[in-house]
Amino acid sequence: MTATRSGLWRRLLKNPTGIGSLLFLVLVVLSAVFAPLLAPHDPDTASAYDTLGGPSGAHWLGNDSSGHDVLSRLLFATRLSVTLTAETLLIAAVLGIVAGLVAGYYGKVFETVGTATTSLLQALPAIVVLLAVKSVLGPSDFVAMAVFGVLIAPAFYRVVYSAVSAVRGELYVDAARVSGLSDPRIITRHVLTVVRAPAIILAANIAGIAVAISAGLDFLGLGDPSIPSWGGMLNDGFTNIFTQPLLVLWPSLAIGLTCVAFALLGNALRDELERVDGAPTRRRGKKRPAGVTVQSAPVIVHDDDVRTGTELLSVRHLSVGYGLPDGSVKTVVEDVALTVRRGEVHGLIGESGSGKTQTAFSILRLLPSGGQIVAGSITFEGKDLAGLSAKEMAAIRGKRIAYIPQEPMSNLDPSFTIGSQLTEPMRIHLGLSKAAAKARALELLARVGIPQPERTFAAYPHEVSGGMAQRVLIAGAVSCDPELLIADEPTTALDVTVQAEVLDLLRDLQRERQLGVLLVTHNFGVVADLCDRVSVMRSGRIVETGPVRSIFADPRHEYTRSLFDSVLSDTEARGALPGVTSSGTLGEGVTA
Amino acid sequence: MLRFVLRRLASGVVLIVVITAATFFLLHAAGGNVARRVLGQEATEDTVVQKTHELGLDRPVLTQFGDWLSHAVHGDFGTSWFTSQPVSEAITSRLQVTLELVIGATLVSGIVAVALGVLAATRRGWIDRLVQLLAVLGFAIPNFLVALALVTVFAIQLKLFKPTGYADLADDPAGWLATVTLPIIALSIGSIAGVAQQIRGSMIDALDRDYVRTLRSRGLPESRVVYKHVLRNASGPGLAMLAIQFVGLLGGAVIIEQIFAIPGLGQVSVGATSQGDVPLVMGLVLVTAVVVVTVNLVVDLLQGFLNPKVRLS
Amino acid sequence: MIRSSRLFTVALVAGLGLAGCGGGSSSATSSGGAAGSVVLGSLVQPTSYAANGAGWANEALLQQAVYDSLLHADPDGKIVPWLATEWSWNDTKTVLTLKLRTDVTFTDGTKFDADAAAQNLLRFRDGTAPNKSFLAAMTDAKAVDAGTLQITLKEPDPALLTYLTQAAGLMESPKHFGAADEKTNPVGTGPYVLDTGKTVVGSSYVYTANPNYFAKDKQHWKNLTIKVISTPATEVNAIKGGQIDGMNVIDSSTVAQIKGAGYTVVDHELDWSGLAIFDRGGKLVPALKEPKVRQAISYAVDRAGMLKAAAQGNGTVTSSVFPTYSPGFDPAVDQYYTYDAAKAKQLLAEAGYPSFTMTLPQVTGFGQVQNDLLKQYLGAVGITVKYVTVPVNNIITDLLAGKYPAANFQLQEDPTAWQEANFLLTTNATFNPFKVADPTVDGLVKTIQTGSDAEAAAATKELNKYVTEQGFMAPYYRLKGFWAQNGKISAHPQVGNATPYLYNITPAKG
Repeated sequence: MTATRSGLWRRLLKNPTGIGSLLFLVLVVLSAVFAPLLAPHDPDTASAYDTLGGPSGAHWLGNDSSGHDVLSRLLFATRLSVTLTAETLLIAAVLGIVAGLVAGYYGKVFETVGTATTSLLQALPAIVVLLAVKSVLGPSDFVAMAVFGVLIAPAFYRVVYSAVSAVRGELYVDAARVSGLSDPRIITRHVLTVVRAPAIILAANIAGIAVAISAGLDFLGLGDPSIPSWGGMLNDGFTNIFTQPLLVLWPSLAIGLTCVAFALLGNALRDELERVDGAPTRRRGKKRPAGVTVQSAPVIVHDDDVRTGTELLSVRHLSVGYGLPDGSVKTVVEDVALTVRRGEVHGLIGESGSGKTQTAFSILRLLPSGGQIVAGSITFEGKDLAGLSAKEMAAIRGKRIAYIPQEPMSNLDPSFTIGSQLTEPMRIHLGLSKAAAKARALELLARVGIPQPERTFAAYPHEVSGGMAQRVLIAGAVSCDPELLIADEPTTALDVTVQAEVLDLLRDLQRERQLGVLLVTHNFGVVADLCDRVSVMRSGRIVETGPVRSIFADPRHEYTRSLFDSVLSDTEARGALPGVTSSGTLGEGVTA
Repeated sequence: MLRFVLRRLASGVVLIVVITAATFFLLHAAGGNVARRVLGQEATEDTVVQKTHELGLDRPVLTQFGDWLSHAVHGDFGTSWFTSQPVSEAITSRLQVTLELVIGATLVSGIVAVALGVLAATRRGWIDRLVQLLAVLGFAIPNFLVALALVTVFAIQLKLFKPTGYADLADDPAGWLATVTLPIIALSIGSIAGVAQQIRGSMIDALDRDYVRTLRSRGLPESRVVYKHVLRNASGPGLAMLAIQFVGLLGGAVIIEQIFAIPGLGQVSVGATSQGDVPLVMGLVLVTAVVVVTVNLVVDLLQGFLNPKVRLS
Repeated sequence: MIRSSRLFTVALVAGLGLAGCGGGSSSATSSGGAAGSVVLGSLVQPTSYAANGAGWANEALLQQAVYDSLLHADPDGKIVPWLATEWSWNDTKTVLTLKLRTDVTFTDGTKFDADAAAQNLLRFRDGTAPNKSFLAAMTDAKAVDAGTLQITLKEPDPALLTYLTQAAGLMESPKHFGAADEKTNPVGTGPYVLDTGKTVVGSSYVYTANPNYFAKDKQHWKNLTIKVISTPATEVNAIKGGQIDGMNVIDSSTVAQIKGAGYTVVDHELDWSGLAIFDRGGKLVPALKEPKVRQAISYAVDRAGMLKAAAQGNGTVTSSVFPTYSPGFDPAVDQYYTYDAAKAKQLLAEAGYPSFTMTLPQVTGFGQVQNDLLKQYLGAVGITVKYVTVPVNNIITDLLAGKYPAANFQLQEDPTAWQEANFLLTTNATFNPFKVADPTVDGLVKTIQTGSDAEAAAATKELNKYVTEQGFMAPYYRLKGFWAQNGKISAHPQVGNATPYLYNITPAKG
């Protein structure tokens, strides 16, 4: 944890927005501390003949309506802003964080009280409350900003509470409890670290808000006019705006830049935090990265048997790569070639990380962000898909080429009913009316084996099981009568019992409609069951391809042979596969 | 669903009572000699005592609050101590105006924020950075400066809008537009930032989801994928942020109404709170609390409509 | 009385109004008949539209729209007949008899007569109006017959006639007394009638011409609107946008902008601005008991600098609280003090108070420049000034309660010494919170009250000289007030009032 934190700070300092805003804020604090040394004049010296003077040699920023030197006043006013902001932040953070920790960790009563108080405080418009407070308790800015700190504590409370309650059930907290650590110890050592980052980001934003609010109150004339304040100076400038327009500029800059600095600091912190937690930020380039050369390697091709259907898909020399932060390109698919004919099921088999899913995505032109086709062609019914525009691709997807994903639940939009998700593409591609689309959808649902099509039509994705969801996805894939189906491990995520049913369904549909299918899988059983042809992939390349019968009867490539050997039988456990590292990965965040 | 609504209403009512009670006691703690303030300094002591009694200020605070509450429940909020106008009249005549400004600003903020957030999330790169910068600027610049700049350029130089005043929407739609456009813009600029940030963040998360790829694979045009599907899923946090901003806008209206001389609640609030005109302040606080509770309820209902999973909870 | 000016908000202004007096009549010649519309601006909203709660000064326009007063005052302050056509005093000047018009009716149909007038006067005296004390000396008002009104005072009051041109003289229909909407819906005899439907309380007041008005030649427009505008910036914007035809200028620093928009400004001097010294008895600050100390204060201040900084030079430096048209005016007295810090220090040393501290009030948003400069000037001669921030609503109450020894203020210069003295100088004056007694002052004021015109004038001159030399107050300057108008209207500033009177605002010729 410590390593991450110091890494975070170092990274922040490298971030231009981060270092810029931090420097500015440090400057503000320093000018507050050293105001007496920096200010050229006494901020309280009034001068009748200098009032509303413009910038001059003696008064660099001019004079206000009482003749005070603006620059000196601005510097001293920084003290007030810094103190008030610190005060508000401290009160809000202490109250909010402690309350959030307690409520998140212990829950129950504390949680109820916390939520109720938070709603109460959030329901009050801050300015109205502060107006009332000032009329009651007098013009002291310190009292008002303390009250504001209380009013804004809910922001900290909510962030801390959600972070803590999420962590509360985590295993490591239980482990700590079991090993006898006291609650306060657990909280400070383990739970607090989760809360640190979001709280710091929030603090940056709240600080900006506090500066704005205190300036606003002083601007409304509710502060103590004897103490220099940015808001008070703004009010003076506003009152005299027609005589000396420049007067509003200086406090506006002070207030504006400080608020902006805080907000940018918060943004920078958040960006750096995302970089630590998540994947490296990927660039989205539009052009093909230059200078990617891919060498060919020999592929073992078995003799074709009789292939009857028209050629639907022909992939030649396909290479897919991802742009890395340093500008280079990492290829995950190299020089892949395969064909799929009408009525033919072509299996693409390999381990995780072999590049088979990437190949499938690239045919659909749906690679994850950062990925591109760097070489080769994908010819579908005569057209090269690699060169089509987004609009042209959208016309083809769903209508001519369809996709069946691997994980059913996460591939349905949770906010729309299953029925609407089925009918929407049909209405677009086939121009059906609402009623006609619904009728067709119900037909399809029945066809894929869903017992009560009406119920499922009206249901939301989270209301059906995984198996049913996958059937829905299959129904959706065939709904617009495509010619080519790309199925990405369609049964991997299902229960074993359901797998067989879904495979049967796929086979039936394929035969009925004479679909060409590219079936991505890691399971030879599935290949044996459904496929006519198979290509074996390893580390982004195809090593062997041919009719299923031929490959099964006579696997020639050593990798293919080892795959067959690894199918469980009464033999010993195998060792590492030749030519593949034990993790078999090609790069972070890339799935095969 | 009904139970959900009833529960929220009940907690809303409790909230309102607590807020009004707190305000009432706060105002009375302010003390000061209200009767003398109303009558002016020439009044004799007798008259002051008489007025104090007339206003009921010599009774215990709890009794006074109870009295106010029992009348308020029936819709009688008393009369202003300073202008002698019935409070309900003073408020209703101005509530509509302020609501027009605040709701208008909320709608404008919502629409612009969605546009900016979606743009930033889908295009990324320099557009993303630009949108973030604009958002931060909008948030940081005080809204009265924006207001002044708008008035000077658009109302006075270009004469496209009216610099002060208010025209009724029903009577004079064109005039209404001429008077409320600038105030609404000035109010919106600040809240756009927060909402846009939220939407950007949740859009970026949502765009990464599997179902987005599946929807694209079905051949849906990109615009439909983004605006119909992704936005709907991503809108939750943005909507929550908008509700929070609404409360802030009610406060922001105070300053804006002063600048544009718009006869809304904000204009009345400053005077009423500084004078300690208790009936009027109580009426204002009550109305504000009711508005806030209502908006929160509406937003919750909207969240339920947008996100089916929420409805179950 | 403290006068409403840009320095005070609605709350304060609501409490106070001012009187004016003078002689001569002027009737603005205008084309008869009401036509067209006019929009005026007002700093304040009405304190109350019940006549016995009405304020004056900045509120005068709003009240004059719907009510007539017993008498009118022309721009020079001269009393002119209106609802009352003639008047006379008895020998002891304690009974005033007025002859009234008999052809006037209220807008609700009730006839205006002496009985109605008497009721109004008594209600005003006993009501809640900020200036109700103007009629404090009135023991009785009664109708001798339908057209004759008799007012009895317990002692002479040279300002009574002037009061009858202001709030005290407003006539409301007796049938409307105590009505539920009395305070928001006025029923008078005035040139216009309030249109409650179109009016937005506190924001814009809309009136239409009274079809039965008895003086149609003074009724210039068919539609009158008065908008409430409370900040200088909003006023400038309204003027630049052509949304109002005339308004008092809230902040004189905006005059250049207003002129730039094509409006003209007319000015008059009404107030004096300076340090009002209350604690002349030395209760809070012993040093202030010494006349030399008070004189030192006046010598310490650079009045010309104050005028330039706080009022952009719009006014005249002065050492006296009496106006130029007062019988007591004396140019020498007017410029008695010079800016002489060395002399100030010398006087302080002679008085035995080379340095001391005073705590003064400051109200946020009002007079900040004067506060800052005063602190500077007095600090330079050894007097330390500390400020305490007071909310605007409490300032008057606090001053009157004697919480502070002095305060930077802006007060009206009343044209009659009688008013001035009773407001500021006599033992029981309103703004003598410490009730400091001065037999010389009291004696001179008695003469002003009871003496002949010549005796009163002489006494006023002496009074002026005395209080100035004794440093009762430390004025800085007389302030010019401005009225802005476009080419559509022509207004004559009113002596002794913040705004012109509505009946002295006419459509411009040509």
